[in-house]
Amino acid sequence: MRRFLFPRLARTLPAAWGILSVIFLLSRALSSAPEGLTNIQGASIGGHAATPDQIRAAERLLRKRRGLDLPLFYITPAATATKQALAWRWHWHGTHNQYHTWLYSLLHGDLGRSFRDEQSVSMVVLRALASTLPLTCSAFVGIVIVSYWLTLLLARHRWLRPAVLAGLTVLHALPLFVVAFFLLLLLANPDVLALFPAYGLNRPESDTSWGEQLISSAYYLVLPLLSLVLVSLPSLVVQVDSALQHELKANYSLTARAKGLPERLVIRRHALRNALLPAISYVADLLPALVAGAIVVELIFAMPGMGRLLAEAAASRDFPVLLGAISVIVLARLLAQIVADWLQVWANPRIEAQA
Amino acid sequence: MKQPRPTELWAWWLAVAWLALVVLVALCADFLPLSYPAATPDLYAITQPPFAGPHWLGTDPLGRDVLAGLIFGARTACLVSAPAGLAAAVIGTILGSAAGYWGNQRLKLPAGLAFLLVGLLLFWGCFTGPGPWFLSWLVVVGLALVAAARLMRLSERVAPQPLPLDTIVLSLLALLTSVPQLVLALAIAAVWPPSLSTLVAVLTFTYWPVTAQLVRADMRRIRQLPYMEAARAIGLPTWQIMGRHAFPLLWKTIRVTLPLSLATLIGLETTVSFLGVGLPLETASWGRTLATARLDFTAWWLIVFPACAILLTTLALRQLPFYPFGKSS
Amino acid sequence: MKQRLFGFLVVVGSALGACSSHQQDSAPAIRIRWERDPENLNPLILPNENSLEAANLLYSSLLAVDPGKQQFVPSLAEALPTVEQTDSLTLLTYRIRAAAVWDNGRPVLARDVAFTLKVMNCPGLPIETNQAQWGFIRDIRLDPADPRRFTLVCAGRSPEYRWSSGDYIILPEYPLDPQGQLRPFSLAALRADTAGNQRNPAISAFVGRYTQAQLDHHPERLPGSGPYTLEAWAPGQYVTFKRKPKWWADTLHSDLLPLQARPLTLDYQIIPDEATAVLALRRGDVDVYPMMPAKEFQRLRRDSGNKSSLQFHTTESYKMITACFNTRYAALQDRLTRQALSHLFDIPALIQATQLGMAYPSVGLINPTAGHLYNDSLALPTYDLVKATALLKKAGWQRKPTGGWARRGVDGTTQQLTLTLSYRTGDPAFETIALQLRAAAGRLGIVIRPQPLEASLFWEKLRSGSVQMYLFTVTGNPFVYNFAPILHSKSIGAGNFTGFGTPTSDRLIEAIAAEEQEGHQAELLRRFQRLMHEEKPLTVLFFLRSRLAASSRLTTLQVTSLRPGYTATAIQTKAVK
Repeated sequence: MRRFLFPRLARTLPAAWGILSVIFLLSRALSSAPEGLTNIQGASIGGHAATPDQIRAAERLLRKRRGLDLPLFYITPAATATKQALAWRWHWHGTHNQYHTWLYSLLHGDLGRSFRDEQSVSMVVLRALASTLPLTCSAFVGIVIVSYWLTLLLARHRWLRPAVLAGLTVLHALPLFVVAFFLLLLLANPDVLALFPAYGLNRPESDTSWGEQLISSAYYLVLPLLSLVLVSLPSLVVQVDSALQHELKANYSLTARAKGLPERLVIRRHALRNALLPAISYVADLLPALVAGAIVVELIFAMPGMGRLLAEAAASRDFPVLLGAISVIVLARLLAQIVADWLQVWANPRIEAQA
Repeated sequence: MKQPRPTELWAWWLAVAWLALVVLVALCADFLPLSYPAATPDLYAITQPPFAGPHWLGTDPLGRDVLAGLIFGARTACLVSAPAGLAAAVIGTILGSAAGYWGNQRLKLPAGLAFLLVGLLLFWGCFTGPGPWFLSWLVVVGLALVAAARLMRLSERVAPQPLPLDTIVLSLLALLTSVPQLVLALAIAAVWPPSLSTLVAVLTFTYWPVTAQLVRADMRRIRQLPYMEAARAIGLPTWQIMGRHAFPLLWKTIRVTLPLSLATLIGLETTVSFLGVGLPLETASWGRTLATARLDFTAWWLIVFPACAILLTTLALRQLPFYPFGKSS
Repeated sequence: MKQRLFGFLVVVGSALGACSSHQQDSAPAIRIRWERDPENLNPLILPNENSLEAANLLYSSLLAVDPGKQQFVPSLAEALPTVEQTDSLTLLTYRIRAAAVWDNGRPVLARDVAFTLKVMNCPGLPIETNQAQWGFIRDIRLDPADPRRFTLVCAGRSPEYRWSSGDYIILPEYPLDPQGQLRPFSLAALRADTAGNQRNPAISAFVGRYTQAQLDHHPERLPGSGPYTLEAWAPGQYVTFKRKPKWWADTLHSDLLPLQARPLTLDYQIIPDEATAVLALRRGDVDVYPMMPAKEFQRLRRDSGNKSSLQFHTTESYKMITACFNTRYAALQDRLTRQALSHLFDIPALIQATQLGMAYPSVGLINPTAGHLYNDSLALPTYDLVKATALLKKAGWQRKPTGGWARRGVDGTTQQLTLTLSYRTGDPAFETIALQLRAAAGRLGIVIRPQPLEASLFWEKLRSGSVQMYLFTVTGNPFVYNFAPILHSKSIGAGNFTGFGTPTSDRLIEAIAAEEQEGHQAELLRRFQRLMHEEKPLTVLFFLRSRLAASSRLTTLQVTSLRPGYTATAIQTKAVK
């Protein structure tokens, strides 16, 4: 176990650092002006005309306060219009630069403060995670359980296969927002069936018991959960199902049947185990998505979460929040990779030689 | 060889027929006798239901004809998803197979060449200057490096240097897949205004890792097969091993994933349109028509027709690899 | 199996639905839909309309807009200020109401106003917006005899100073600066040298305290003199305000709306998606839905099933959608071309298609409902391709045999008439307008490319002047006619993105802003509308009607033409029969 874990962790951390550095540099280099002053330039008649000079001064102050007036990196491209035949390509700035500041505070566990509301990024990200994780994790568990159950069902009742597979394919072709709207209009509409709340999360009320709160939170999560499960289900089921069919035709399954094992046990004990192998990497790919949230579902059902946080931060160029959220996702992704590797080894010890 | 079952045969021919129809419609969209052009709104007939009135399949909340939107959307599907899917497949195959075949150790550059490359890169990385002058400098430095390598007799004294291809490709993959695709698309849209080519680039950029991962894994497996060992043992040139012997096996994987990736890309384009970024406004697309449904969610025709088009195309693309005349199985 | 599962879900769902709706009935909160989170309640920042609305519940200003009267009325101040003008300065004298007290019972004094102005200029705090907006207030003079009376010293002169000098929220001094450490510093000194003052220990200590309080999400640490306190705020979900049991204005029994606050609980629900919000309104999860999409509004209004549960209001607003020309772009430099392009908008059809008739055209930036200020002798813009062609020819454009238009510019180069039309993504109305213009221009052979831009990119391009034509929402108001921010040549690069500005127009804009007599101002405004009508740096497509749907259990919504379109503090619930 230790021999397995440490080299991988040692490789993971530099990778995370590299990825985050690239994203940091790209995101800041590509967009020049941060938002934040648009409200004083909004088009309204009347009010006081801030002159261009005032606005420029205000912007300078803002950039200074956010540390954006520093050079981006240790080196930046030197002025291009050189008369000399050969000149240094870069200009050296020393450690007084945005990247150094960011990395330094990152190493001290400080993700910075949001440009939009000056809140600490770790707080913002944690809060978003707190509302995302219950949804995505239960969706994850739901997907795994339902697809396991469905594949077994399909393997046992072969006459169901054409209909169910066709249904899954139709479902797969529909984008998430269509499925979500469909559920919303079907199950939260006073004209059809108003069974579930249309939006939002449960509000914690002090006078209710812990159990009641849990139930009513779950009640609010039903529709978003259902849409996530419905959309992710088809690809997993189709994959496991085709693998299972393949394994059932393999020689060892024939042997098992020849031994007189009932079909149920042939599927459960022998074929399914092997069929689940390729699904492991697929499931591991789902893990970072748990953290990244589901932007479409969060928008439609008006839930706060990582997806909306990321989208809003990208739109308003709130770099600290964007990077903070992405760091969490990158970490989740790299850890998921390790978990997937480990699961592969655990499920199929022959692979270990290559690790 | 097994005889194809009639249903399989039917399904395959249906798939081919539908795809041919889509391509045909995309090609002739300009010449079809449409009563309404695709991007011109009929302002007095917004959100008209279908089968009643001059707009056969109704109009969307902006007053655009849905039928024309579907027909021109077929063209967009061909122009956006197909090139993006192909480009992603090509890039993914090249990088994935190179990483899988050579790994970290096996691609070795002669020491002299490595010396020259590193030297030139360093020079280029450190200095700049006006165009022609800089080029001549590059040539001078290059010649100097070659001369130096000769003088030091590098190629004889130093062993060839391995190029860590696998690590490079894997870290590229990690970089791209660490940011969720949708966030990446949104972030790019925040920097560049939308256009057809931007969208193709974005989709390619976000999608090639999928193919690359599959091809890399496949190549690692193929490389170990006995006949590949044999091919190397008899000293066939690498391009021949890759092209003649490895590629046919890889092709099986690619052939299955390519249609699937096209289907996924159509879906991705739809979602990007839903979020309000992506294609330019005057370009009709199935995803855009579907996305206008959010403006008026009682307009079922905005969901049903484009969703049918997407669904049929996806199904057809999936059916395509299962060529029933069973040559490869 | 699946059916059984579904049946189970239905049972559980309806059981829970029953108990949750039971809970809702007992709470008399007024629930209002917001599209986005207020994000930041730091009184120095307030980044969007929602945060402004929230701040006005928590804090009071010297003056406030009475939505019923549509004018500024005194809120913390006793009366509108007395104005005194010297050659380069305007002196405005206010007196604060004797009844006005903070939550701890201490009176609101001139000291607090001075403190507020100093905070707004304190180096090291996020003061950029405030400095740009209220930078004209140069100093404050406290009356030594009366702790409630003070005089604001403003640079220059303008009739609007009467209102804008009192239009910011007043902060209490006691929670943040109990020892009065900022008092020794004069406002002028704080404004003057931003870097120098930061080294002063007293100021940096104050900045430290202010930052430490984290007012962005904890306004309760700086209790204001407004009628509400923040009860709960789940970012991205809801913000709840609770009425103070005892608010100072209660004793006044004033009939001015800013001095009343009726709902005991105001509950703002943040629902970004419109379809979800409509559903929430129909289910009774939300009571007030301001600025509803036209389509939904019309459908709900027509559906007789909603008559009993919902009420609908429309009113004129000061929000207009305009198409603007970047006059610095070579092809758009002459007014004839701009006039020609203005004839390509089919405005009645656009009003029908995008607002379902709930909008009205105007000749210019003045609302047609403004009576004699509106120049009704000018013709409304028409959709006229023949006229457009004639104007283009007059402007020197020649139709090429290949279909496009070209002309020889002043500098001898050939100009092509191909344009981009930029706008912010997200509003379907903009998309419809862009498509209509593109189609109309296409019939004349002019290539116009719609260019939807993501908000921050759009602003960036506007400010750098790299747009050609663009669609833009301009907001007016019934009090002040100052077009300098959007059309004066001094604002080019700031708020004047059209790049327009001639000496004549500049003089006229300045004269309108400085004119105090209403008759003269009307005359000047009519001249200004004529000038804009000819020069066409922008063409007003239509003024929107604001649309609001609300639950029928509410009354006295005070639906107004001013943002946000309703008066939350005035809303009452109908007595239960």
